[in-house]
Amino acid sequence: MLEIATVFDFTHDAVIFVVGVTAVLASLGVILCSSPIYSALYLIGHMICLALLFLLYNAEFLAVVQIIVYAGAVMILFLFIIALLGGKKEIQENSLHRSMAFAFVFTLLGELYLSATVGPTKQVQGEIPAEMFGSAKAIGLELFSKHIVAFELASCLLLVAAVGVICLAKFSFAPLRRRVR
Amino acid sequence: MGEQFVLLISASIFCVGTAGFVIRKNPLIMFMSVELMLNSVNFLLVSYSSFLNSLDGQIFALMIMTVAAAEVVVGLAIILTIFRTRHDMDVDHIDVLKG
Repeated sequence: MLEIATVFDFTHDAVIFVVGVTAVLASLGVILCSSPIYSALYLIGHMICLALLFLLYNAEFLAVVQIIVYAGAVMILFLFIIALLGGKKEIQENSLHRSMAFAFVFTLLGELYLSATVGPTKQVQGEIPAEMFGSAKAIGLELFSKHIVAFELASCLLLVAAVGVICLAKFSFAPLRRRVR
Repeated sequence: MGEQFVLLISASIFCVGTAGFVIRKNPLIMFMSVELMLNSVNFLLVSYSSFLNSLDGQIFALMIMTVAAAEVVVGLAIILTIFRTRHDMDVDHIDVLKG
């Protein structure tokens, strides 16, 4: 995506840096807001930042899918559930467990970064021409030739999830209770 | 931007998601933290697919998105059912397995 960089007269790296830092800040907003509705709004911002990062790393099709599936469908579902259940504020207390959790998480962050930087990455030579890398055509060719089994299994998974959700939502626990008592 | 920066950003988002899952009590925000973790892995896969010039990472990210969508739908239905029977949204209070 050289167009973005040239229009705003930034270098490619500076744009990636700014968008990446914004994504991290938005993710911090998700976990630090006390009301779930603000968390959901921060999460939408985070998804849009990630879609921009996908664009900057030559994955146009996945960027579009990210916007439609995550920022569209999944977050709308979250907002509907929050509206249905009522976004109640959560009482935050500063306990020992909380600080222990933070210490654990920052240790984990350091270890992840160290282990990721120490190990060497093997360079593989891809055969995709540069001009169609990440486009819908390239993804489709790859998906329907090399990964067709995974594609079919994903469709089975979605069908099972849809049937399961209908069972959970439609037949509430009333028939179960009647049988027990 | 180099691989170091991508690794740092992705690890940071993953750890923020872990922290959110540990410290929050609202099940909705815990679900959002799981989404953060899945998204950080997606970002790493996509960027490395670009570095290594191979589309396998992007296909894998697409599959992760499918699984995440199914997981969110089922999880939200379970939260809704729990709320319908208990009228309580604190995961610390949900400690018995019978309805």
